[in-house]
This record gives sequence, structure tokens and C-alpha cells, in this order.
Amino acid sequence: MRTFIHNTYAVFRRELSRIIDKKIYLVMMFGLPLVSFVFFSFIFKNSIDSLPIAVLDQDNTPLSRQLTSMIDETASALVAYEIQDMEEGMQLMREGKIYAILQIPAFFEKDVNGNTQTHIEFYNSGCNITVNGLLEKDVQTVVKTFSTGIQLKLLGAKGLTARQAMAQAMPISFERHILFNPYINYSYYLAPSFLAMMLLIFSVLTTVYAIGTELKFSTAKEWLDTGGGSILAALTGKMLPITISMFAMTLVMHWIVFDILGAPMNGSSAMLIISGLVFILSYQAIGIFAITVFDNLRLALSFGGGYSVLAFTFSGLTFPTMAMYMGIQIFSYVFPFTFYMRIYVDIAMRGAPIAYALPDLGYMMLFQVLAIAVIPRLRRLCLDKKYWGKL
Amino acid sequence: MKLKQYISLYAKEAASVMRNEYRAIFTDGGVMLILIFAIFIYSTLYGLAYGNQVLRNVPIGVIDNSKTSSSRALIDSFNAGPNAYVAYEAADMEEAKKLFYDRDIYGIVYIPSDYEKQLVGGLQAHVSLYCDASYFLMYRQVFQEIVGTLTQTGAMVEFQRLVAQGINIPQAQAVTQPVIYQSHNLFNPYLGYGTFVMPAIIMAIIQQTLLIGIGMIGGTWHEFDLYRKLTPVGEERMSTIPVVLGKTLTYMSICAVTTAYILTIHYHLYKYPMNGHPMTIIGLMLPYLLACIFLGITVSTLFTRRENSILWLLWSSIPLLLLSGVSYPGDAMPQWLFGIGNIFPSSHAINAFIRVQDMGAGFEDILPEITALWRLAVIYGGTALIAMHLTLNKELRLRIKNKVVKTVAIRKQTKRATR
Repeated sequence: MRTFIHNTYAVFRRELSRIIDKKIYLVMMFGLPLVSFVFFSFIFKNSIDSLPIAVLDQDNTPLSRQLTSMIDETASALVAYEIQDMEEGMQLMREGKIYAILQIPAFFEKDVNGNTQTHIEFYNSGCNITVNGLLEKDVQTVVKTFSTGIQLKLLGAKGLTARQAMAQAMPISFERHILFNPYINYSYYLAPSFLAMMLLIFSVLTTVYAIGTELKFSTAKEWLDTGGGSILAALTGKMLPITISMFAMTLVMHWIVFDILGAPMNGSSAMLIISGLVFILSYQAIGIFAITVFDNLRLALSFGGGYSVLAFTFSGLTFPTMAMYMGIQIFSYVFPFTFYMRIYVDIAMRGAPIAYALPDLGYMMLFQVLAIAVIPRLRRLCLDKKYWGKL
Repeated sequence: MKLKQYISLYAKEAASVMRNEYRAIFTDGGVMLILIFAIFIYSTLYGLAYGNQVLRNVPIGVIDNSKTSSSRALIDSFNAGPNAYVAYEAADMEEAKKLFYDRDIYGIVYIPSDYEKQLVGGLQAHVSLYCDASYFLMYRQVFQEIVGTLTQTGAMVEFQRLVAQGINIPQAQAVTQPVIYQSHNLFNPYLGYGTFVMPAIIMAIIQQTLLIGIGMIGGTWHEFDLYRKLTPVGEERMSTIPVVLGKTLTYMSICAVTTAYILTIHYHLYKYPMNGHPMTIIGLMLPYLLACIFLGITVSTLFTRRENSILWLLWSSIPLLLLSGVSYPGDAMPQWLFGIGNIFPSSHAINAFIRVQDMGAGFEDILPEITALWRLAVIYGGTALIAMHLTLNKELRLRIKNKVVKTVAIRKQTKRATR
């Protein structure tokens, strides 16, 4: 054991001097992750509001203008154009200037005052589902509120008290409680997931690079010898600086997400921090696996990189896994990111007890098997000249 | 006469650059994976992930404390819609919460014990709903379904009460719902997720694979010393224009194959909307690909090793997708950040491409984007020429220096030998 620690430390020191020697290491371990973090902090600092829409007001009365200004006052919508006909609106849409068109029909005010049913048409572009959803929610709410207001007035005119009128207009009232993300803030789960994506990309690439360059520049034997011939010591010493830097980055990530962006933290911070460490380690295991199997730096980088960026889609954060084909649902488990984000949602957003996150943590740990399985081959790569110097 | 000589010399040099470029690409698995196969693999995998397009049948839980025919009817009407269904009837909030943490349900409706009594008595019944907003699409589907059902049931009760009071049917309708709200989703009527994100992803993949792939080959040129090996006999160094031209033609030819696959076969297989006129799409793709390739060549001169381009560029794929304003609208991000986004071809191309394919926008509708792309193509064409010119000069200086060092060393050796 003592020799193991001694050997690991020797490799660790050798690794540190390599890192200082090659600036690309520092770029990968600190520079680019931080740059990307800053980028995402700025992107998600603002919330989505004032999405431009057009109004086709064929009534042009005080009442129709009142409805228009009510919609303009919502958080998401901004009435940017008043148009004369539908074609004009469609043209604006094709030019990318508006997301939706609200149509108020002729005789709107007359019908409302004359106790005749009327209607509002909302043409909402489906090209951007996020925008579509936000506008739909706000415009629908405004029209419903508007409609209820008219009802109450009508019922009041019939001699009902305000309370009676309310009971009549809304026989079933509902109280809505939004669990876990009370502000329905899009960035609360997008921000941590994108930051975690950056971490996993750099963990995989740096791991592959750290081992791959030993092969490419024929220093693999020297690396193994520094570890006293023990591949385990050599690998541990090599991985340690990367683990430390990436783990430090997860802490920076927590700081950005919870303190700067103000996302809720409803559960155990310790659990999330431990999960962050396991998350980093699992992606390092994948990196070790890729470079050992391909024994070629470039191919392993292309494969590892290509695999890394896939994780987001298959985690089901935006398009739920539940809605995917069965085969794809199974495929989503080859990404530790899927488990990590489940833990994030459970712990940080839902405030679930730790017990609910433990299985996912266990699955993430299973990825270590990939690294362990290829260790004998990695040792061979270090000893056999024929694997070295591939440009 | 001199001009003609130049042209034939340049053509020869460009042809030799192209030959070498193809060889460099097709003998390197890492490059082929990124530059050629990535687009097939990614478009297929992403396409499959979003294959179902819409989320249906999200399980929800109900706590029914009323246990009356009215509350049963309400529960049944939750099941009638396509987006959610009642998977569990929980006894109390504790049980519902547990189901919730277990991810068995994604929303809870609480029906109080006085539900029927209030309704029959002409009073107001209060229903509580708890929606999970940790997954957005789930939230949307569940919320829509429950609120829609409650509103409808409420309107029915109100209507019946009015009719019972002896009010005629059109009047009762007008009181129940003075303003009907009708919403129409244009271009993507069922709000398919794949239809929404795939055009953007495809355009981003095209740019990113080009930038990384060209960057890798840039490293190959340096590592294999192709700058020297490809120099025509009797010349000191290669000329700038043929190198850039030869590279551009090579990558254009590869893009012609990959983008043709995407825009025809892939689009057809996954049934994405294809409302754009082919000429509009070509008019958009041409400046886009040129701008990407020229940007790629410019950046590639910075890479002295083949592995560097992926290390430096891979992460940028997600930020660039965001900068185009697709998953997070551009109106929401700081203006200066949106401005930075405009220096990347993808930002313009993604926005224009979505409008062309989904809305059937024509050439005039996307003219601002096409102009911007041509502008970028010209700018990056210029930077590609300058960067390549400087690199060729640098490589030449390096070679002369090495030669001097070598000859000095040889001279020293011979001196020592003669001694």
C-alpha cells in the first residue's frame, strides 16, 4: 500500500509538470470550462419576455383596444405590429419578425355588449415550441380573464351579488400549485444541464488526451515506469489532477446555478456534491475506455467527443425519455449524464430524500467497470512499442 | 501569356492540394468520423430520439375525497384527453407525494369532500392541482389537460344551471362563455419536438463538423509537413490562392454529398416539413457552406497538431446552438451576446432555414440572412487567404531556420571529423 501511494504520488508529480509544460492542458482543465460557464451565466441571466406578436384588430373599438393592451401587458407577449389583414401577418412571420397573430373579429364590442357569443382567434407559430408555449399560456389566461370579467358584469346586471356571480361564473375554481419550480423558470434546469454538459465534455477529452499523448509521443513506458510498473498507480496518478480540477469546476457550477442564477436548492447539498464527483469519475472512466480500446489519440477523441455531446438529448430533460421509443429509452442509459440530471432534479428541485437518488448514484458508479475492464489492455499498450507514435 | 501561365500553374497546384486533401481525409479514421460520418450518425440518432414527436399519456394521480358520481365524472374526463391519464388514485397527500418522488406520476389533483355538495347547491367547488414543473414538457401537457378539463366541466355546470333557471340556450351560451378562445398552431400543428429542433441541430452539425474536421486537417498539414512536400519543384513555397481554393473545393464536394443526403433522404425518412423551394434552399446553403469552410480554413491555420481542433472547438456546439436563439429565444439574451452570435454563420443560417422549411419562406423573406451570410463568406474568405499566406510564410521561415541549423550542425560535424 505504501509503495502504491508512493508510486501514485510520483506519477502525480510527473503529471503536474506535464500540465505546466503544455498549455492546452490548462485550457481544457480551467480555461474553456470557465469561459463556457461565463457564457451560460449571461445567457440565462435574463428571463424570456416581450416576444413580438401582431394584432389584427377588425373591430377597432375601445373594448378591442382594451384586450390588445391587456395582452401587451403580459410578461411574454409584446404587441409589436398592428396589421390590416392576415397576409400581412403571415409575411411578417416568414420574415421572422413576429411569433404569433391575434385576431379580434369585427362586431366584437357590439356582440359582447349585446350578449351574443363572440370569439378570439390566436394564430401561434409552432416552429419554436418554447415560445409557442409561453405565448399560449399568457394569451389564453388573458382572454379567459377578460371573458370571466364580462360574465361577472352580465351576471351582476341580472342582480347577483359579487359572490354569487363568481360562484355562477366559475362553479369549479382551482387553485394551482406548481411544485418545485414555482416560477416556471426555464433556465433553472437548462443552466445546470448545460454547465454539466461542458464538464463532461472536458472530462472525457482531457482524460483521452492525457493518456493518448503518452502513446502518440511514445512516452507510455516512461509513464508506467514512473508508477513503479504498476498500471493502477500510473493511472490513478494521471487521473488525479483531472479529477481535482473537474471536481473544483462542479463546485463553481453549483455556485453559478444556485447563487448567481438563483435556482432553488431544496435538498441535500452534500448529496449533490458527491454525485458531482461520481459524475466526473464516470466520464473519466469512459475516457479511459475510449483511448484504450482505440489506442489512437485522434480516433478516441473523435469518438469520445462525439459520444459526449449526445448526452443532452438522451437525458430527457427537454423531450422526456418517457416519450421516446423503447430502444432509445434503453440507449439513454449509456450516458452517466442521464443519471446525474435525475439526481439533480430529485435533490435540488424536488427536494426528495436522499434515498430516491441513491439508485441513480449506484448506476453512475457502474461506469467504473468500463475502466477496470480495459486496464490489462492499457498495460499492454504501455509496454508494446507497436502502439506508440501513431501520428 | 504570363496570366495564362499563372492560371495553369495555379490550377495544377490547386489540383495537387485537392488530391492530398482527399488522401488526408480518407486515410484518417478520426477525421472521417467527424467530417463525414458524424452527420449521418447524429441526424439518425437525434431523429430517432425525437421520433415520437409529441408527449402523450403522462401519468397523474388523483386524491378523491368526494367519492361521488360528480367526482367520478371529473376523473373520467381527465382520462378522455390525449395528454394525461389518471394512473393512481392516492388515499392522501403523503401517498401521492411518494408516487411523485418515485416518478410514477407527474401531477396531482385534489378533489375535496364537499365537491358534489357545492356544485349541487349552486355554490363554488374548490379543486387543487399540483403540477411538477421540473420537466417542462410534462408540466405543459399535464397542466393543459387538467385545467382544460376543469374549465370545461365548470362551463357545463354553469350552462345547466342557467338553462334550469329558464334562460334560452343561445343566451345561456353567451353568458357561460362570452368570448370563445380559439388557438391555432401554425406550421407545426401538433407541436412536434423533432420538427422544432431538428432543423437547427442539423444546421449546427454542418458547421461544427466542418470547423473541427478542417481544423484536424490543418494540424495534419503541419505534422506531416505538407507545406514543404506539396511545394512545386523550383518554387520556394506554395502560393496562397491555390491552397485555399483547393481546400474549399474539396470540402464543398464533401458537403454536397452530406447535405444532399440530409435535405432529401433524411428529411423524407423522418417526415420533417419541406416547404422550401429547392432554389431558395440552395441559395441559402451556398453562402452558408462557403462561410463555414472559409471560417474553418482560417481557424485551421492555428492548429499545429491534429488533435487540437476537437479540444478547442467541440464544446462550442451547444453555445452556438443557443446563440442562434432556437431553444432559448434571442430576444431573451443580452444584446451584445446576440451580436457576438452574428459572427457565426450558424446563427443566420438556422433562423433562415427554419423559416424556409417550416413556413415556406421565399428568397426575399430570408434576404437579410442571405446577405449576412454572403458578407461573412467574403470576410472569412479574406481571413482565410491572409491566415494561409502568413502560415505559408511562417512555414518557409521555419524551414530556412531548420536548414541553417542543420547545415551548421553538418559543418561542425565535418570539422570535427577532419580534425
